[in-house]
Amino acid sequence: MIENLIHMNGYGLFVWLSFGLVLVSCSLVYLKAKKTLNKYEKEYLAELKTLSVNEKNEVLTNSKVAQQVLVTNSKAN
Amino acid sequence: MFKFFAQSNVYFFIEKIIKFINSIFFLILIIGLTFSLILSPPDFLQGDSVRIMYVHVPSAWIGLACFSFIAILSIFNFIFKIKNFYLINKSLAPIGLLFTCLAIVTGSLWGKPTWGTWWAWDARLTSMVVLMFFYFFFLLTIKFITNQQLANKVSSIIAIAGSINLPIIKYSVEWWSTLHQPASIKISGSSTIHSSMLLPLLAMLLVFLLYCALIFLMKYKTEIIRIKKKTLKKYD
Repeated sequence: MIENLIHMNGYGLFVWLSFGLVLVSCSLVYLKAKKTLNKYEKEYLAELKTLSVNEKNEVLTNSKVAQQVLVTNSKAN
Repeated sequence: MFKFFAQSNVYFFIEKIIKFINSIFFLILIIGLTFSLILSPPDFLQGDSVRIMYVHVPSAWIGLACFSFIAILSIFNFIFKIKNFYLINKSLAPIGLLFTCLAIVTGSLWGKPTWGTWWAWDARLTSMVVLMFFYFFFLLTIKFITNQQLANKVSSIIAIAGSINLPIIKYSVEWWSTLHQPASIKISGSSTIHSSMLLPLLAMLLVFLLYCALIFLMKYKTEIIRIKKKTLKKYD
């Protein structure tokens, strides 16, 4: 059965190559998107930390996004 | 209504949706792969090579759907000048390009055992290559034009111009005599695909759609943070 699954009556190369190609390229795009997102989140937090307490409070009160990034990252850490 | 789609409101839900997709994705992927590689029957003419359809067809559908969506949003963007639409298009275009390329490559891999050739300058195949170039130009515009307003305008024009190609792709198999087979699945009218093959196809389509949603949300989230990062600069 496993041999049949691998060879697929002579079409194995084409079928597995198609599925493999889709899997590899989708994984690469996922990893790239995740890496970029993490990079920007870290950079945003680093910049947020350089602000004074008052400025930080102002940003956090006005921006839901800033709050969310801070919550997500503190959970991750 | 547009206020509901404001970045700060949307951002709150993105994290939750990403978590939900992550929690169900691998289960649906395994189901889709089991059906498409093991449980679905081979075609009486094409044999097991028909299994390539389970990655080729959803890829082509998504490539077309993404560009249709981008074109519609570009038209709205021209009328209403909503910045969010530009961000959505920017996040959606790489996904569309990926799946258009995958549709072309897997189609080529399917063409060799069934048609006896990797490639033919057939109307369907050529119009898909044209679509790929429209995606390229769209993304190049966004990447290399630094003035965002100009990039927005030029990319919208490219998307609207590219939308002319969409009906050509859809009806190419009917308008011209092509090597590519006509559509087996029709929204209106009866489909010519058996349910034993339709179900795995729909399962794989669901897997691809979830993947697209995941990548789109991650890219959209990145774009929002990029904008918010710029607003922090005023404190410098």
